[in-house]
Amino acid sequence: MTTVMSKPVSAPGKSIIEKLNFFTALALGAISAIVVWRLALQFLPEDTEVRLFTREDKITLLSMTAWLVGFMTGIGALVGPFRWLMGKDLSHEENMFLAGKDMGIKRYFRYTTDHKVIGIQYLVIIMVIFGIGGILAMLIRTNLGSSEGGWIHPQAYNSIVGTHGIIMIVGTIIMVTGPFGNFIMPIMIGARDMAFPRLNALSFWLIVAAAVPLLWGQFLGGISTGWTAYNPLASQAPLGMDGYIMFICIFAISTMVAGANITTTVVRMRAKGMTWNRTPIFVYGVVASVALGLPAFPVFFLSQIMSAMDRALDTSFYNTAGGGSGWLYENLFWIMGHPEVYVILIPAIAALMEMAPVFTRRPLFSFNVAVMGIAGISGLSVLVWAHHMYLSGWAPLLNTPFMLTTELISIPTGMLFLVLVGTLWRGRLWMTMPTMSIFALLWNFMIGGITGIYLSDVPADAFLHGSMYVTAHFHYTLIGAGLTGALAALVYWFPAMTGRMFDKKLSWVAFWIVQIGFNIAFIGMFTVGLAGQPRRVEAYASTFNTGNMITTGGAYLIMSGMLVLLYGVISSWKSGVKAPKNPWQAKTLEWTVGYPVPLENFEVLPTVTSDPYGYGKAQS
Amino acid sequence: MSVETHAHHEHPDVVGSRNRLGVILLLVADIAFALSMVFVYFYLRGQNVNNMWLPAATEEHAVVTPLSASPGWTVTAIVTFGLLAHFYGLKGARSKNQTQLKLGSLVAFVASVVAIVYQFNTIATAPFTFSDGAYVSCFYMFAILNFVHLALTVFISLGNWNRARLGIYVSDHWHVDIVRVWWVWMVVSSLLGAFALSNP
Repeated sequence: MTTVMSKPVSAPGKSIIEKLNFFTALALGAISAIVVWRLALQFLPEDTEVRLFTREDKITLLSMTAWLVGFMTGIGALVGPFRWLMGKDLSHEENMFLAGKDMGIKRYFRYTTDHKVIGIQYLVIIMVIFGIGGILAMLIRTNLGSSEGGWIHPQAYNSIVGTHGIIMIVGTIIMVTGPFGNFIMPIMIGARDMAFPRLNALSFWLIVAAAVPLLWGQFLGGISTGWTAYNPLASQAPLGMDGYIMFICIFAISTMVAGANITTTVVRMRAKGMTWNRTPIFVYGVVASVALGLPAFPVFFLSQIMSAMDRALDTSFYNTAGGGSGWLYENLFWIMGHPEVYVILIPAIAALMEMAPVFTRRPLFSFNVAVMGIAGISGLSVLVWAHHMYLSGWAPLLNTPFMLTTELISIPTGMLFLVLVGTLWRGRLWMTMPTMSIFALLWNFMIGGITGIYLSDVPADAFLHGSMYVTAHFHYTLIGAGLTGALAALVYWFPAMTGRMFDKKLSWVAFWIVQIGFNIAFIGMFTVGLAGQPRRVEAYASTFNTGNMITTGGAYLIMSGMLVLLYGVISSWKSGVKAPKNPWQAKTLEWTVGYPVPLENFEVLPTVTSDPYGYGKAQS
Repeated sequence: MSVETHAHHEHPDVVGSRNRLGVILLLVADIAFALSMVFVYFYLRGQNVNNMWLPAATEEHAVVTPLSASPGWTVTAIVTFGLLAHFYGLKGARSKNQTQLKLGSLVAFVASVVAIVYQFNTIATAPFTFSDGAYVSCFYMFAILNFVHLALTVFISLGNWNRARLGIYVSDHWHVDIVRVWWVWMVVSSLLGAFALSNP
């Protein structure tokens, strides 16, 4: 619970807050895990014949929990709550220390509460996540380069597919709301920081803590179930599954905390005069995303807790022999899983809607329709989950209603398309990489959306389900729309975050290589999917050779483009052209503060007197 | 920069209202979690897969009979008493009666300790093992979640009482208001568990 000091108490000497950092967190996490592992080995009773293998799961899960507690204690996450408990609230000096005042680069390795530091931390960790996920993708595609496959062991291949899936899903969930929702959004609404700065730091460091169990799991048999981790398959999987379970549980907590924090910030801390009609559309996108996650991720969290209980305690939630049900898991998973698609997409599309008026010098076409579209998608997205389960045999009578709700969601999605097209229509375009990204989104998401309609249709899904067509479809939405929007946001807000312009030439080169590679890769995948190639296979019939070769070639192009982009980030950040105060001549508040952004963002909190898209209007 | 640094310039009511909304939103997540548990309970009970909701007697073990509903309702009654004590303390804080605030907070804290001990005892003395079918799995799920909730309640109510004891709530008491929100949810979540387990 965040507190406001009533009686400031300065700790004598060097406060414990000043001693804790990323390295103490690593050390304490590792020591805690090792100690608990040894104790569990020593004292946990052996399995009986009835309950085999649960002891190893208990030991693994206990050790991973100890890692989490040790890491979070070592980073300083528990200082605030315990100081509250003791009635010794943090002093002004301690809060300033936590905010990273005058601390230079060290603040990026501490439990720093400044939203700008956290935004940069997210940006870096997302690049790491995409780097690892990308390498795994290349391993998959290289293995599928020839029909025999074979150079990766099938068990390892399955684990690579599962790890690639979950790591990329998590990366795409946080790729916009993490860096830009943290760095840009509070300034955009005229706030000095997030509503709960310590919770903000908690959300970030939980993600760092979550990475270790996932990595740990790779050495314990990996994630052989695919990213969905369906039960009872997951309950029979090797110990690596415990890493997945722990990863999801920690990530879910992080998401819930971030959701409460961001929503409170926007509802309670917008600048004076920033009515809902004057609130930038990007803010709507971020809030819709985290607000959707708020009720959705606890369901996923529970599904994983029950999975852990089945594995470690031998309960029967998913084990049909004991009265459980695999359908139960599928329901819980997809109740989270489908809103999660929109948790990824909405902020990315909203970021592009934010940029469209800037680069067309026109007001956003029908702001209200954009808001209704976002609200409509958010509302409907919680009513479509069972379209993933048409062929599972669960409740066939519900197939038609779920088909209807799924197809209905194209209406609010179409609204967002219309807003973008309407804004571009007859505009004098300032051709930048973000501008081209809007066109790329319209093209890619059109393909992703239309192919999705076939999957929402029960008879067509009966043919396409479980094929590479499905894989191509969701990559068209998550990369083609989501990642495209995120990369545009990176180039657009790069000057505000780093004080330097993103290298224009490199941004264009990266854009075209990624987009061409992406379309080659996944159109190739559609063709083999339509021809009947199943997904998640390590080898395939030679008839699918050509399509797979094309897909693998496209994947290498995507990788090349992403490497160019990475080089662009590093070189521009290090030695790029210094950015003027408002390089895009935009009208939102984040461009009014200059670089470096002051610790409290604004010397005097701004008052908003007009809407953010008043381009081409009198007195704009 | 943090809330605290500029809280000096903000009215406590503004900070309090922000914190209250934050806590309510966190509770939205917790409510989603708890309702999912209720869904799991009634789903598995309704399906009764392989007649294993309450397994019949076999050669290896006796028939599994549902636990009496009374432990669930007893815990709910104890936390309701804690909530009432907290209300009493909050009323004291509002009327600037520090003695009443301290007394109410202390009684609420004691109630949370009694509740967690009782809950632990219920889990420890349950007459079945984890692998005794779907009903038993759900029983443990509810009982363990309630235990975790109660552990948080002990932490929060201890802090609340300690801060009241130190006189921190003399000038403003929005913390005590927010702790009340938690207590109300604690009662409701206990109630959900008790209701579900009363319908085996």
